[in-house]
Amino acid sequence: MLLSLNWLRDYLAKSDMKIDPKDLADKLTMRGIHVAGIKRPSFSLENVVVGQIKKIDKHPNADRLQVTQVVTKAGENAELIQIVCGAKNIAEGDIVPIALPGSVLPGDFEIKKSTIRGVESFGMICSGKELGISEDSEGILQLPKHSVIGQPLTSLLGGGSNDTIFEFELTPNRPDCLSVLGLAREIAPVLKTKLREQKQIKFKITPHRTSSIIKVEVEDPAICPRYVARVIDGLKVQESPDWIKQRLEAVGIRPINNIVDITNFVMIEYGQPLHAFDLRKIQSGTIKVATCKTPTNFSLLSGESVGLEVGDILIQDGDRPIALAGIMGGENSQIAADTTSIVLESAAFLSTQIRKTSKRLALHTESSKRFEKGFDLAVVAAASERAASLLRDSMNANVYHPPIDTNEYGAKEAVISIDMRDIRKITGLKEISAEKAGELLDSIDIPSHKKSVNILSVRLPTHRPDLKGNVDLIEEVARLEGYDSIPEYFPTSLATYDRLDETNFDFEFRAKNLCSSMGLRETIHYSFVSEDLLRNYGFAHDGMISLKNPLSDEMKVLRTSLLPSLLQTYSYNLNRKVQHQRLFELARTFSWDDKEETKVKETPYLAGLLSGNLSGSGWKDKPIALDFYHVKGLVENLVRQLTTVKLSFESSKNTTIYHPNRSATIKLGLKEVGSLGEIHPVVRDSILETHEPVMLFELNLEALRKYERTTTRYKTPSKFPAIEIDLAFVVDRNISCHAVLENMKHTGGELLSDVSVFDIYEGESIGASKKSMAFHLTFQSLERTLQDSEIQDLKNRILANLKEKHGAELRS
Amino acid sequence: MIEQINQIRAEAHTQIFSAPDPEALDRLRVHYMGKKGILTGLLHQLKDLAPEKRREMGAVLNEVKTNLEQDLKTRQTELKRVLMNREISEANPLDVSLPGTYAINAGSLHPITRVMNDVVQILKRIGFSVVTGPEVELEFYNFEALNTPEDHPARDMQDTFYINPPVLLRSHTSPVQIRTMKDKKPPIQVIAPGKVYRSDYDLTHTPMFHQIEGLMVDEHLSLADLKGVLNYLIRNLFETRSLRFRPSFFPFTEPSAEVDMQCIQCKGKGTDCRLCKSTGWLEIGGCGMVHPNVFKSVGYDPDKYSGFAFGMGIERIAMLKYGIDDLRSFFENDIRMLEQF
Repeated sequence: MLLSLNWLRDYLAKSDMKIDPKDLADKLTMRGIHVAGIKRPSFSLENVVVGQIKKIDKHPNADRLQVTQVVTKAGENAELIQIVCGAKNIAEGDIVPIALPGSVLPGDFEIKKSTIRGVESFGMICSGKELGISEDSEGILQLPKHSVIGQPLTSLLGGGSNDTIFEFELTPNRPDCLSVLGLAREIAPVLKTKLREQKQIKFKITPHRTSSIIKVEVEDPAICPRYVARVIDGLKVQESPDWIKQRLEAVGIRPINNIVDITNFVMIEYGQPLHAFDLRKIQSGTIKVATCKTPTNFSLLSGESVGLEVGDILIQDGDRPIALAGIMGGENSQIAADTTSIVLESAAFLSTQIRKTSKRLALHTESSKRFEKGFDLAVVAAASERAASLLRDSMNANVYHPPIDTNEYGAKEAVISIDMRDIRKITGLKEISAEKAGELLDSIDIPSHKKSVNILSVRLPTHRPDLKGNVDLIEEVARLEGYDSIPEYFPTSLATYDRLDETNFDFEFRAKNLCSSMGLRETIHYSFVSEDLLRNYGFAHDGMISLKNPLSDEMKVLRTSLLPSLLQTYSYNLNRKVQHQRLFELARTFSWDDKEETKVKETPYLAGLLSGNLSGSGWKDKPIALDFYHVKGLVENLVRQLTTVKLSFESSKNTTIYHPNRSATIKLGLKEVGSLGEIHPVVRDSILETHEPVMLFELNLEALRKYERTTTRYKTPSKFPAIEIDLAFVVDRNISCHAVLENMKHTGGELLSDVSVFDIYEGESIGASKKSMAFHLTFQSLERTLQDSEIQDLKNRILANLKEKHGAELRS
Repeated sequence: MIEQINQIRAEAHTQIFSAPDPEALDRLRVHYMGKKGILTGLLHQLKDLAPEKRREMGAVLNEVKTNLEQDLKTRQTELKRVLMNREISEANPLDVSLPGTYAINAGSLHPITRVMNDVVQILKRIGFSVVTGPEVELEFYNFEALNTPEDHPARDMQDTFYINPPVLLRSHTSPVQIRTMKDKKPPIQVIAPGKVYRSDYDLTHTPMFHQIEGLMVDEHLSLADLKGVLNYLIRNLFETRSLRFRPSFFPFTEPSAEVDMQCIQCKGKGTDCRLCKSTGWLEIGGCGMVHPNVFKSVGYDPDKYSGFAFGMGIERIAMLKYGIDDLRSFFENDIRMLEQF
């Protein structure tokens, strides 16, 4: 909403009072009427006058400049003023605007006496753009030849150029402020003035009342609670008077013709959209307000054809639609060049339906913007009178009086009581009295009277459809008193949640911290990706969830895995020559699940990507290429610190993204909780276009969180000496390390306190399809010193069992 | 004999402390205390003495032996130190300016995570607990229960992604308020951080972003308490004291306010400041007293309870805190950006 300060002045009791636009804007903003911008607030054309160029010489030091001598006073002996000018379109004798020192042009451009390339200049000859009065920057503004030299420019151009325009960013609860009158109501108390009394508009009763020309039928008052129709004739379509055009242009509305302009003028003034139908086009003689019953096409006065749907509110000539109510008129009934008689419509329409229709058709007009937020039933009649009087007074039109009014009583104003104790409780304004609250409300035309010390009875005015209950008035009082005057307390903690109620935030933050401490950088990607991206990496399936209204195909499908996004980021950074990447993300993946309220299951995942070499800076150590076991070690470390679980690793299932022989599925018992491994070489070559190996992992954090490590049970270290031995055996290559370890642990029992693999060897010396595995075993008891003999015995049993179970031969 | 012993002792002492290297020292050890050494020889002679004398001389000899052993040890340490010192002084000095090579370089947390955690930790200190909710939501939690029925003009403020009406991607973290209140009776003091989604993509909007929401409900909470909590939060987050609360509108709170923080760049002066567009203030969030209709929708008695809610965009705070000027850079994941955190 744009507001012209000059227009506003028409509504203030002290219309010529001094107003500081910046200060007013700040105060309004602090009252919740947010001023987002002020146009032309900081310039003053006071020192810009009409002048005449007497003489033009070339600038001695600059080819593109000229030195002019101008006069800014009438008379032969007027003093010549020297001004350096760069424009080409000037000639001796031209009448031009001269900005004298002290002028402040738009853009906070202050004119001062200056020296331009060695020549003194005492002002500026201005273009229309420099003065902020036209977009034309081509050259100096040429003024009419008969202009009076020395006259201030503002008086020549009229008030318009000296206006200040406020741009408001209003909240949707304040449709009343979509009007000059509504804003004036808020502004008057800020400026410590009152609204100007509006002149009573009187019409002579005419021999023909509107009802003798046409009829109005409203199908259901719910869709149109008030409809005022007025026939006006004796009109002639022409340009509007300048003052109306200026007002409209100031607030960004293009003047069209006198009839349309006046309906727009009153809409901006009162906030009530109006529409004028050409009376000749109402062939049936009956205006009918009804909802659309069968879908059909309709041509708007914009020339656009729209599809009407059942429920849209229509203005009909009998059964023929002539306007999309509250949004836009029809082509078939619009004002034409030869229109002389009109039906002036002022009405209120069901906000929710206007909103629905305008949203569906993407038709957001000045009219629909107002109706969809609410209306003032009282102003429906007042706006009709105002427009009729303007038409009558500006072109001697004949107004048929009285009009048709489907609801002569307008709206009843509701009265509610508010309890000051509630106001004090909610706002924290402990001292505020009923008198004070009454005064505040009264300042913006909300009448009230005090019923008792704490009870204020308030009449809810029709111009504030947003005020319905007590809490709305509490807000009004707080807002008018100013949030600044509300004290500041510090509430006592109400902490009632404890660790058992806590959500996954801490757990997830711990996981992120661990990843970071192990050298990974956190990334965050959009939760939606393209279907192709998921498909490329083997994560597309029937259970994918798509958005109904995606922004694009690139952001259409909710992620089923975090890995594709990480690979995308890997490529992005690789293109910027970053080879060595360590990335992770913790986010939710999405899948259909009927058990969920939304039918969508969200599962937090932690995923990572590692590329390049294991160690970072290569000047000293030999680079070690990353492999499966590095990323496995990372995952094991992570899980060990986060949880108390033991994971197992099996051959991988997703062999689209993973190298089939260098990847694993991660399992927790029987449940699959993730995957890890090297990227499939085909994917690497064809999609990522790199030869660097890339390692990936992904972990289901929801599954792991059940085993969150919250505490640690301490075990006292043994006081007795440990005995350590190394064993190496040859087994078939397909025997897993895990199987051998488990077998040894089983045999070793409690006394085998630790066992770990320290070497794997494959080579001809031990035979093809064989491998050698070397283990380091530690025996120790918590209760006693172990005897060599029992260790020997245990070792023999371990070897025997390994041989029996896995065919392991001790390597000598 | 005593004299002889004393002389040997004195000689040995001098020799030991003038031994030039460990080899010479070892030779001295053999010379005096080896199998055929001088002291060993003297010890052998003891058996020829009378018992009285033998005991006396034995004690003397043993003392001398102990002394010499001590001398040898001391000299050995001295010689070792000399050797080490020589080695140390002869070693080539390192170029200490070469980069370090610890195998793992620390990673980093995303600026969003950092700010989110900052806010959470600050609010936890005064008793807030963290709650979370689903990102895929029902219209009921995202709108209806928050006093935003269908066709409410406030729905225009948020363009929502739908999966299948009434299932949508939450457009704010406020539905977590509803889920929390439906789940628990007052008093309530929670914060809800998380991702939210709106169908908007331009210089100043990304279709996904992060919010944190706070909710406190009890019998006597007022706007004054809300001001206190937000001032505390911003003071700790930005080390600035100046906040202003400006009346605004949200369907789920009333009275409602926008929270502006004094511009951290121009310090509120508002002259030629690009960050605050010369207003001196930066918008950082919205807040208000929970609307009675919201309490009704979760079965709380609005006459008994009052409460406040506040919400803010994490990206906005991160941009201000770290001086990031392009919102979209949060989700590009350019390593050159990530490695700065």
